[in-house]
Amino acid sequence: MGPLTYFGEISTEWNYVIAIFIGMAFGYIMEASGFSSSRKLIGVFYGYDFAVIRVFITATLVAIIGLLYMGYFGWIDYSVLFVHPTFIFSATIGGVIMGFGFIIGGFCPGTSLCALAIGKIDGWVFTVALFVGIFIYSLVFPFIEPYYNMGDMGHITISEYLNISNAWFTFWFALISVAIFYVTSVIRKKVKEVRY
Amino acid sequence: MSKRYILLAIVLIGSAFGLVVLPNKHDTNQIPAEEFLIDIYNPARFLSTHQVAKRLIERDPSIFLVDVRTPSEFEEYSIPGAFNIPLENLLEEEWADYLSQDGVDVVLFSNGDIYADQAWTLIAQQGTKNLYIMKGGVNQWFSTIIQPVEPPETAPSEAFDLYAFEKAASIYFGGSSANVESATTTPTKKTVVVRKKKKKAAEGGC
Repeated sequence: MGPLTYFGEISTEWNYVIAIFIGMAFGYIMEASGFSSSRKLIGVFYGYDFAVIRVFITATLVAIIGLLYMGYFGWIDYSVLFVHPTFIFSATIGGVIMGFGFIIGGFCPGTSLCALAIGKIDGWVFTVALFVGIFIYSLVFPFIEPYYNMGDMGHITISEYLNISNAWFTFWFALISVAIFYVTSVIRKKVKEVRY
Repeated sequence: MSKRYILLAIVLIGSAFGLVVLPNKHDTNQIPAEEFLIDIYNPARFLSTHQVAKRLIERDPSIFLVDVRTPSEFEEYSIPGAFNIPLENLLEEEWADYLSQDGVDVVLFSNGDIYADQAWTLIAQQGTKNLYIMKGGVNQWFSTIIQPVEPPETAPSEAFDLYAFEKAASIYFGGSSANVESATTTPTKKTVVVRKKKKKAAEGGC
């Protein structure tokens, strides 16, 4: 079932068990990185804390490099991997809305659950509001459905779009990431420190 | 900047660069030879003409017949509902989705077994599932479904049951019906004759 061919086929039941453990590890790492604090998360937008960008870029980079190496050694079957279809228009609009929600609410959906788990009241409020938002969205969905499906680019990856090899894309991405790490550290030093 | 961050950056860039300089792996996307050998020896990859005929009569949507003979042979006669992908064009990108379908049994056939078997080998070693061969091909199809031969009187009762099915299937597929004795003319002509009869009946009503 899973793309991990090295261990033979993993049954559906075990997939769920593994998913639970990965989910627990994910939640733990988020909490350990301080992502249950909305002040830390918001720091990205005000320039006093770039942990969110750093953690996510590092995670992405580690995942890409790991996947490519495992694919190279034949432990992972690429053809089984699901590539989400890209809807460039709705993704852009959704990203902007999500960004504003992030600044205003102080959480993204995942981190709000993380804050909820450690009993933060703002986390609880955010999560309840999240479901209210989902409900309202489902009610207005028929009206915005045409925009929802706009800019369909199919199951495409960036390296396919740019017509470069996965390895080169990863290399450039690693260089850009390190540049981002450096730039953010410079910005952080210039911005007045916020204690929280 | 702390040394840890510099080390981390070097590790990330180094491992990413490692991917670039790795030699290209010859990725054949084929299933291992041992597994393939087991698949080849598995008799379940053959379907009899009776099984195919039964599923066609029942209008089973989960069967997809692929005729791997040449287009001229295909136009001359083919099994109803079959799709023509000539053997030499089999590996073209265009047909990949036709030959590998989830939940649909793809049945290959040619005049005999050889070309269908070659086609099966070519496709199956790419790991395609639900791939079958109609045993005996079009020749067997004629000798069993279109012009069935009555079994000898000493044959077991199963053979007569099968013959009864063959006769019925023969009528369904526009063959020589149960009239085995007259089964000497070419079957392609027979199908045309049946169609003409229908038209005549309609004219009589006017």
